[in-house]
Amino acid sequence: MKKMRKLTYIICSLCLIATQHLGAQTPKGNVLIKNATVLTVTQGTLENTDVWVQDGIIKKVGQDLSASKDAETIDATGKFLMPGIIDAHSHLALDVVNEATAPITAEVAIADVINPFDVGIYRALAGGTTIAHGLHGSANAIGGQSITMKYRYGTRNPSDLIMKEAPRTIKFALGENPTRVHGQGKNIQPRTRMGVEAIIRNGFNEALQYEKKWEAYNQAKGQKNSKAVPPAYNLRLQTLADILNGEIIIHCHSYRADEIYMLINVCRDFGVDKLVFTHVNEGFKVAPELAKYTMGASVFSDWWAYKFEVYYSTAYNAAILTENGVITSINSDSDELIRHLYHEAAKTQRYGGLSDEQALALITINPAKQLGIDEYVGSIEEGKQGDLVIFDHHPLSVYAVPQMTFVDGIKQFDINEDKDDQRLKVSPTERVEPVYLQVEEESCMHGVELFTEGTVLHHSY
Amino acid sequence: MIKRLTTLMLLVVMICFLDTPLAIGQSDQTGQRRVTGTYVITNATVITQPGKWLTSTSIVIKDGLITDIGQNVTIPVEAKTISGDSLFVYAGFIDLGSEAGVKRPEEAEKPEHYDPSNPPNEVAGITPERSVLDYWDVSDGSIAEWRKAGFTIAQLLPKGEMLPGKTALVVFGDTKSTNVLQESTGLFAQFETVRGVYPGTTLGLMAKYRELYKNAELKNQHAKLFTSNGNGISRPEKDKSLEAFYPVINKQVPVVFEANEELEIRRVLKLQEELGFDLVLMDLEEGSNLSSELLAANAHVALSLSLPDDKAKEADLEEATEEAKEAHKRVVEEYDVALSQAGKFEEAGVKFGISTNQVKKDEVLKNLRLMIDNGLSEEGALAALTTHPAAILGISSFAGTIEQGKLANLVLTTDSLFSEESKINYVMADGYLYEYDISKSNKVAGDPTDLVGEWKYTAETPGGTSAGEIRFKESSGNLAGEIDVDDPNGGGTVTRPLENISFDGKKLSFTFSIQVQGQKLTVQSKGKVEGDDFNGTISIRDMGEFSLTAKKTPDFKF
Repeated sequence: MKKMRKLTYIICSLCLIATQHLGAQTPKGNVLIKNATVLTVTQGTLENTDVWVQDGIIKKVGQDLSASKDAETIDATGKFLMPGIIDAHSHLALDVVNEATAPITAEVAIADVINPFDVGIYRALAGGTTIAHGLHGSANAIGGQSITMKYRYGTRNPSDLIMKEAPRTIKFALGENPTRVHGQGKNIQPRTRMGVEAIIRNGFNEALQYEKKWEAYNQAKGQKNSKAVPPAYNLRLQTLADILNGEIIIHCHSYRADEIYMLINVCRDFGVDKLVFTHVNEGFKVAPELAKYTMGASVFSDWWAYKFEVYYSTAYNAAILTENGVITSINSDSDELIRHLYHEAAKTQRYGGLSDEQALALITINPAKQLGIDEYVGSIEEGKQGDLVIFDHHPLSVYAVPQMTFVDGIKQFDINEDKDDQRLKVSPTERVEPVYLQVEEESCMHGVELFTEGTVLHHSY
Repeated sequence: MIKRLTTLMLLVVMICFLDTPLAIGQSDQTGQRRVTGTYVITNATVITQPGKWLTSTSIVIKDGLITDIGQNVTIPVEAKTISGDSLFVYAGFIDLGSEAGVKRPEEAEKPEHYDPSNPPNEVAGITPERSVLDYWDVSDGSIAEWRKAGFTIAQLLPKGEMLPGKTALVVFGDTKSTNVLQESTGLFAQFETVRGVYPGTTLGLMAKYRELYKNAELKNQHAKLFTSNGNGISRPEKDKSLEAFYPVINKQVPVVFEANEELEIRRVLKLQEELGFDLVLMDLEEGSNLSSELLAANAHVALSLSLPDDKAKEADLEEATEEAKEAHKRVVEEYDVALSQAGKFEEAGVKFGISTNQVKKDEVLKNLRLMIDNGLSEEGALAALTTHPAAILGISSFAGTIEQGKLANLVLTTDSLFSEESKINYVMADGYLYEYDISKSNKVAGDPTDLVGEWKYTAETPGGTSAGEIRFKESSGNLAGEIDVDDPNGGGTVTRPLENISFDGKKLSFTFSIQVQGQKLTVQSKGKVEGDDFNGTISIRDMGEFSLTAKKTPDFKF
């Protein structure tokens, strides 16, 4: 009898675990896409090929596949199938971008301010983007912890958008933005590029001391008759310590070659090798160094001259970096550009003559590598997640229009079922919501008040 | 246990009243002391709790307590009688989130050369150690106004930013009493930050909240070590902000967290899940779709009585495009969803109370009726005003229902509470009786049509006489208007909208603003309307008062 009860108990708890597990999961879909020209990115181009996604995972890539009954079959004859586009630098679907009040704000987490109701997510999906890296802004030398999101539009729960498999990331920023916000704006460090370096080095050193304090306490408290008292908790220093321990990938806003090389050296001094540079307009000058010491560079295709530090730029940047062996991606940093990153990638064929595969890698497998998620996404391979886009033309053609977008095997966009109003939440008191009137730019300096000028910046990168 | 509590209560109440009968041994020279603290309400319809009606019932009240209730009660000789024949008696309403009589503390002074990235707690809006009672004025006029709306017990919310202070429970009784029921009922938290200092946004606020909470836990641990075995333990540095968290950490009081929208509610639930505090969610305007999460988190809910305005919903779309009409359908849908939140919470089994700090007094019953029209049961509405908040506050033993031994907080209405015609005739709070004039019709405000039309005005100002036109319009009982004034920046006239229009049939007041050299000046006007004549004044802050007269232009109707 007693044994029985125990068994029942075990079964019950197993059931409980199972349901909890199910409850925590986001929906996964089944789909069979037939006869497409499959641009795998990592394994060449496969003509007349089927891709079968089961429970959100690519189960089979091959010919004449048949799927289980519950999978929708889509005829993609004459169409092109590519992996979901990945944007390594975005501020879309975030309620707050900058905590611009301190030069180091490593403790803040963008995951806290995800806005799943942003219709921009749907617009990005309509442009084939399935994953975006929601970054803290560039107001601070060390900004907040960023978040890798899968665009599972339709959920009301912000945590459903989080890509749980993705490692932690954090934003750093060099140059004019942090020096203007803090130095000019509030008369505190950093006022110059030297100050930015000092802020970062001091932060790292303090984190080392902080970690030591806790290590000493944790050791002492276990001992007999311990008199140890806990040190103060500091989420900011704890996060910096986590960076030093290799648990967090740095994504650093940067333009000039000298400051890029500066941060490479700082990171080498502290044994940090998980480092990606973003913007990197002068990256072409330090390409070999970027290739050797970092996880790559995430650049604009052809965007510059919006402030002094961004004048020395070239549209050949991505191509030069690629040819030098730097893991290179092209990002949007814009709610509008995120809708046609395939055009942005195609520009590298005009400026630098990259191959189709190289160009597509800039918006798929390479950003996946920079976010530490390349084992799950970024190419069409069996075992990877079913994030896929169907195009009517080759995605690098100027005529290309995305037809369908899948995330985890679930169709999130279909050009034939594209309702006019895709908003999830509507204000009961606004006749015309701003979403109709303008595209809100959520950019690097979004929401930063420059106290010297009394203006709120919305359009500076 | 219950008996002991009751005895304790009685004792407490007796102590409260000691000074009334004993301390004043001679006749009251001011003549203000009430003749008796004993009342009887005879022969009324008594709703002792939601769904439970007693007819022809009398209630005896003595010195702040309900001492007897029934059809055949013994009426003490000293009792003042309120004839309740046509009245409905309800338990006094309980407000989970009130700002009645609560002042905003003065802004903290910023130290010289302070670092905005690391400001002192006061400067950053972090003052959990403050008690709202230190900023509460028991004689503030708005308390009487809220009492007139039926509220007798309220949880006061301190004003401020991220962590403004501790909430407290008071009764809206006589101004000579302290009226305090509980000095600390919770730690108030909001998604509000101080401009220009850390933390400046929701991002920083949530991180700061986590850090404060964790440090309070550690400091609490340190302090306990020090008191239990001080030898060899370093002195814990005092920190009033962190110490204010101790009752939360020790599960003695909840965090009262203001969250209006769904995403804010989710953020609070996330913090609660991480840190594990008891939670009262304050001022909810949506979130019934999160009912199961709220129940699972054991979070209590105070629904805001504020409802969205219907301007967008009622917009005239006759000449609009099809696209605009389609978009408007969703506005209407969403408006209905907002009004049905209370009903949906009820359906999901969330026992919510209400908060008033975001509504005007005259909107309370109006909005509750709207909620009832959209799915909330009348019992549910009454429970939200009485039994549910009492349970949430843990004061059911002495408040929330009409029962012998409970505090004498009552609302007497002329009809069942939620019927359109119902008016509040009496409110008894803390055993004190307040009577309200019900002779006037429901329309306390004057007939707005008396004003509608064009008025020619002249105003005498130091700059000379100026004249122009005021135009009043009316839509669904609300007055709107505009005024033509000489452009102070020279040349021509400008038309400004009238704001804060108030008209009771006789007295009229309104404000409007003008721009003078880039500065906004608010002009106030008030006076009396008699027939087609308005005699009044206009005043501009610091500039004095000047006369303004106006005459209505007759509208010609054929």
